[in-house]
Amino acid sequence: MKKMRTENAVIGIVSGWLLIFGVIPILLLVTTSFLTQDATGFFSFSFSLASYKQILDPGYIDVVLRSLKLAAATTLSCLIIGYPFAWFTARMPKNRRVVILILLMIPFWTNSLVRTYAIRMVLGTNGLLNKTLLATGLIDTPLRLLYTDTAVILGLFYLMLPFMILPLYSNLEKLDYRLVEAARDLGAGFVQIFRKVIIPLSLPGIFAGCIMVFVPTMGLFYVATLLGGARQLLVGNLIQQQFLNARNWPLGSATSVVLILLMALMLAGYALVIHRLAVRSRRS
Amino acid sequence: MKIFNKLAAVALFAILSSTPAVAGEKVYVYNWTEYIPESVLLEFTEETGIEVVYSTYDSNETMYAKLKLIQKDGYDVVFPSTYFVSKMGREGMLQPLDRTLLPNMKDLDVNLLDKVYDKGNVYSIPYMWGSTGIGINSDVIPADEVTSWKNLWDPKYKGSLLLQDDMREVFHMALKIKGYSSNSTDPAEIEEAYLLLKDLMPNVLLFNSDSPRMPYLAGEVNLGMIWNGEAWMAQEENPAIRYVYPKEGVNLWVDSFVIPKSARNFKNAHAFINFMMKPEIAKTCVEENGYATPILTALPLMEEKVRNSKTIFPDKEMIAAGEFQTDVGDALKIYQQYWEKLRSGN
Amino acid sequence: MKPVRFLFFTGIFTYLYVPIIILVVNAFNINRYGLHWDGFTLKWFSAMFANTGLMEATRHSLVIAVCAATTATAIGCFSAIAFNRYRFPGRRILQGTLMTLMMAPDIILAISLLVLFVVIGISLGFWSLLLSHVTFCLPFTMMTVSARLNGFDPFLLDAARDLGASERQLLGRIVLPLLRPALLSSWLLSFTLSLDDVIVSSFVTGPAYDVLPLKIFSMVKVGVKPEVNALATLMVVLSLVLVIISQLFLKERDKNEDIQ
Repeated sequence: MKKMRTENAVIGIVSGWLLIFGVIPILLLVTTSFLTQDATGFFSFSFSLASYKQILDPGYIDVVLRSLKLAAATTLSCLIIGYPFAWFTARMPKNRRVVILILLMIPFWTNSLVRTYAIRMVLGTNGLLNKTLLATGLIDTPLRLLYTDTAVILGLFYLMLPFMILPLYSNLEKLDYRLVEAARDLGAGFVQIFRKVIIPLSLPGIFAGCIMVFVPTMGLFYVATLLGGARQLLVGNLIQQQFLNARNWPLGSATSVVLILLMALMLAGYALVIHRLAVRSRRS
Repeated sequence: MKIFNKLAAVALFAILSSTPAVAGEKVYVYNWTEYIPESVLLEFTEETGIEVVYSTYDSNETMYAKLKLIQKDGYDVVFPSTYFVSKMGREGMLQPLDRTLLPNMKDLDVNLLDKVYDKGNVYSIPYMWGSTGIGINSDVIPADEVTSWKNLWDPKYKGSLLLQDDMREVFHMALKIKGYSSNSTDPAEIEEAYLLLKDLMPNVLLFNSDSPRMPYLAGEVNLGMIWNGEAWMAQEENPAIRYVYPKEGVNLWVDSFVIPKSARNFKNAHAFINFMMKPEIAKTCVEENGYATPILTALPLMEEKVRNSKTIFPDKEMIAAGEFQTDVGDALKIYQQYWEKLRSGN
Repeated sequence: MKPVRFLFFTGIFTYLYVPIIILVVNAFNINRYGLHWDGFTLKWFSAMFANTGLMEATRHSLVIAVCAATTATAIGCFSAIAFNRYRFPGRRILQGTLMTLMMAPDIILAISLLVLFVVIGISLGFWSLLLSHVTFCLPFTMMTVSARLNGFDPFLLDAARDLGASERQLLGRIVLPLLRPALLSSWLLSFTLSLDDVIVSSFVTGPAYDVLPLKIFSMVKVGVKPEVNALATLMVVLSLVLVIISQLFLKERDKNEDIQ
């Protein structure tokens, strides 16, 4: 009997919490997206598809597309820099590896707002970057970096790099280097080895890293606010505006639902790829 | 491990029990950024013993949305602009003020009282008034080059302007250029303004209402909209930054003290408002923030330079050319829709 | 390869650390805007400590972080145990929910919780903040504990069961102590996540409960604020300390595993 009680208590707490704060809020969100905007409140209880229609408005689609582009650019830059980083680190002797990883993590443990603010100081017209470039004579007039899309990408890259490196690293660490050596013994060149051996083996890591960077990026509105400037750069800003400024909760909820669907699509794609790879490796 | 556990417990206890000085009298003030000097808040606490818990917002809309979210235990004193005073009053979000607790009201300029947005001043007392005009860094752009709102549309300013993140103020520019009232409720006129503003968007670098003077001071922006007070504060640090009254007219506004229904420290709120109406306090606010005060007895106390500043106190012609903001009622929705389109890049 | 690799790492770490270094240096710079070095001063630190609003927000953040980390670690631990050891209806759905919580952008979490609080009628302040923070830390604590739990020798637990131990004794005397390193690292992780949170807090907190990231955000939205530089310096130091502590615990775990 004791066993039942402890077990039930544990299960009860866990299920209760997840149900109240996990499942129900999402359901409420989806429900709200089908309500109508209220002039004085947040939403009124009448069913309508108006919010979803508004999302199809070219202006909104523009914002979503722009966010996707920014997220993609960030993911790509993280991948291009992160992959060599993870590879080199995985190849290092164990004690050096730990040092490198700690050095990588220290900025990560620093408050992300503080780091975004720091990047902002560097990118300003009178900031360090421009000062250095002017001093070395590489440019004549200061570059306009702050309040542009470039600044946002640089900021997002700065915040998200560890999220790309860690999954890649944990994958590459387990890579059996003997496969690479075997391929070399068989006469394959570096490019061939890379394409045919290393990339396929590291695909799970690559995908995990990409998802861990791409998905959160769409929602990081404060980076866009601090570094971006003129336009509602990210979907996250749109949602924030709708909830905290324009008070159009149905529209904000609908936008979030779209974001959730996009995210689910990506995760499903990821699961599919992993499954295919597993099947393929089982066959070979 | 045991030692660590003990240390952790001690630290936890220390943090949680550092709740001491928080049990006294408080007043929760929700205000525009950079609108009350820190020294004034400290003086208030010294004089009355009431602690001020200060939060800020950068637009009326954000303030309104926040107030809607807080049903109880909310803010005690808030500073909406005129048309929001009427809106919030209509919707029953405000508490009527208790005149007996506000003896300093006698010093107020009667020209700013009993206005259409709050007849009889049931809910509000004017705090400060000012205008929104053109800010310019005369070191980079010669000051005589920009004399009208229309100048901002010049293609040579592509991607370089600062605009206030305020719907009514941005529309004011376009409506005035077209010759309409900035308080227009005519959908056709508002649409024309919107189309004109669409052309302006490529020139915009950023929207900002938090501390608009910062980008000017940092050299990121040399031209755009700005509040007169922000320009005054910027001049203290960089005299090259000027405030220009465009010929079509500035946007004139009044911000008032109100007490929301969800306030919990009614008496303290009144004590705060009464304190702020003292002539010496009003003088400090004007000198530090650069906006005009309705407290007449404060004027003789000010330095010459402050009293004569056209940035803070526009002369009669400038006021006549400008237009005071008033309520547009349901037309606000139309403005909102176009504003969203502009902000989402369309 | 060697010089290329060296250059590469140097480049990356320069990019990662230079902004932070500038921040720290400017915390001691007399010049407000950090445009050039005017001289050494500690006045920004004293300005920071004198700023009661900032200090109050810091206190609030620390309280929330400690409470949220503790609660999230506890519930995360229970979740890991429940999913690992027990079978019960709805297990798959709940596991899926947890995964979704982790992968979802913070903003979706934030607004769905806001809708919940408004509908239920919980007023926004300390409790709404705490409940939200626990919720977004939960997936991380669960995963950390789970990873360690999965590495357990099942025979150990079977042996204890054979000797007559009840479930409660099993959990209390064997499982939990062995989980301690994982519990500590999830606590540290939750603490950091909670202190770092901007998005969720900006939606669910109320007037009475301002938190540090939001305070900083409103201060830096447009420009450089020297008191923030001072605060940032302290936060960098705090992160260093946390990293060192977590590394020490990893070493401890390795030691324990060697013993086992």
